[in-house]
Amino acid sequence: MARRGSARGPAAFSIDQVVELAVRHNLAELEVEAAGTRIRIVREHAPAASGSRADAAPASAAVVQQPAAESVESTAHLVTVEAPMVGTFYRAPKPDAPPFVAEGDVVKEGQVICIVEAMKLMNEIESKVAGRIAKVVVENGQPVEFGQPLFLVDPLR
Amino acid sequence: MFHKILIANRGEIALRVIRACREMGIRTVIAHSTADADSLPVRLADESVCIGPPEARLSYLNIPSIISAAAITDSEAIHPGYGLLAENPAFAEICRACGITFIGPSPEAIRLMGDKAQAREMAKHAGAPVVPGSEGPLAVVDEAQALADSIGYPVIVKATAGGGGRGMRIVREREALARAYATCQAEAGAAFGSSELYLEKFVEEARHVEVQVLGDRNGMRLHLGERDCSVQRRHQKLLEEAPAPALLPETRAGLYKAALAVANSVNYASAGTVEFLVDRADRFYFIEMNTRIQVEHPVTEMITGIDLVREQIRVAAGEPPSFVMNGNRLRGHAIECRVNAEDPARNFQPSPGTITAYHPPGGPGVRVDTHIYAGYTVPPFYDSLLAKVIVHGNSRAEALARMRQALDSFIIEGVTTTIPFLSRVMRHPDFIAGRVDTKFLEREPQLLQPPA
Repeated sequence: MARRGSARGPAAFSIDQVVELAVRHNLAELEVEAAGTRIRIVREHAPAASGSRADAAPASAAVVQQPAAESVESTAHLVTVEAPMVGTFYRAPKPDAPPFVAEGDVVKEGQVICIVEAMKLMNEIESKVAGRIAKVVVENGQPVEFGQPLFLVDPLR
Repeated sequence: MFHKILIANRGEIALRVIRACREMGIRTVIAHSTADADSLPVRLADESVCIGPPEARLSYLNIPSIISAAAITDSEAIHPGYGLLAENPAFAEICRACGITFIGPSPEAIRLMGDKAQAREMAKHAGAPVVPGSEGPLAVVDEAQALADSIGYPVIVKATAGGGGRGMRIVREREALARAYATCQAEAGAAFGSSELYLEKFVEEARHVEVQVLGDRNGMRLHLGERDCSVQRRHQKLLEEAPAPALLPETRAGLYKAALAVANSVNYASAGTVEFLVDRADRFYFIEMNTRIQVEHPVTEMITGIDLVREQIRVAAGEPPSFVMNGNRLRGHAIECRVNAEDPARNFQPSPGTITAYHPPGGPGVRVDTHIYAGYTVPPFYDSLLAKVIVHGNSRAEALARMRQALDSFIIEGVTTTIPFLSRVMRHPDFIAGRVDTKFLEREPQLLQPPA
């Protein structure tokens, strides 16, 4: 739950710093966006079980740097739908039912897109904008806390 | 014993519970609001769950969110701390219904003691003295007259709908009652739209003395001595000490007996406090029972050497207390001062802000319970308690000297605190002599002002 670090803010990062971070925390993937630059690190061998820092040297890290403005996947305009309460996240109304929405689906404002179960109550969560589901951030059945991002929605303009 | 406990509180008491759990090998989950995301309890608990926005109503008082946080973290029990949901019988009931242990007494005990009139009846029935007075509103002045004759003067006539010191008259002799009754009635009618009055014995020079009790689920109940909390401002305690100074031995024995009788009457199975008023002739009267761990519990811990939060968790898990109480257990004298982010010179106005410098006091017999640190921002959403300074000495004089040195070396900059005020109280001749009652600050208002 709250052992996530968020990489936000205006400060610029060097590639070395991001690689350092990914290695130090043994992350398989790390994406940092700052000052108009987005850096994404994908480490093929990670997460290696308790490898020392030298073992996990960035030799295996593939580094992609691209200006955010040119990216076809620029995320700046996406709207985040956050959990309005603490509970368990469900993508479908019932275990065997199809999910309310999948990535790429177009949703209306106010459309139910998931359920957060709190105290045995199934709270239907609606999209606050009309748009296309760009990303489902949380996996089905996972616990979520207040304010945690659930979906990224590409709003219709 | 529990494996994991969720803490539904914040500030110093959340930290206090985390500390007890760590010593006991219990994992902790802190349920917190967005305003407390950078707090020490969030940093020091094993897990944290954000349960809502800053407003307590939507986070710390939001029962579904707290239960849900306990469910998703597999917490077996919830510690409510003090304030917030600690004395909410509905919350204790919901915990029970959800199969989560509420670390406190039964919802029935909370409900009974939470209703003032019912608590008074229970205490009376259990044999604890209550402030004598009319059972309901008075019908006519003759009824007031007869009642006052039977309970003895002085008496106080109060408006049923009254509050804030209005609509009440202290009557010291029989001749003055009829006129006081009429004035009070007129005042109450004009001020509150209801002229209903009641009458009770006026407890003169009342000291606030309370008895710490502990019960387990097998019916064992014991007391851990008393605390004097007479230095108050509008019924808010500012400092506490144990044992109560200048109490006759037979009064003390009577208080313990009455406190246990009240606790027994509701099968009390947790840590709790039975509060009394003690008058200048050492007569005492039950006022209420607090069905929670209290802010001032450390003074009892200092003179008993017993960790009350740990015992509270033990009995909630169905275990007996870890100690046997006997008369020799109480040792020395302890005082607690509540350091608040308030300005006493401005009617104790809250002073939220960022703490720019922080250095706690130390030395033998000094304990500080706090959640603040240099750079911490005191949020404006919650109560203003910053820290509790607790000292222990072999004698009251030693404890007083320790408290003076502790307060004088406590550095908190960036917000206005009550430290200078507390330091002045520790040097007041009446306090030094143990001669204070609940009207002490009304008599000595200069203590609120910095010396010219």
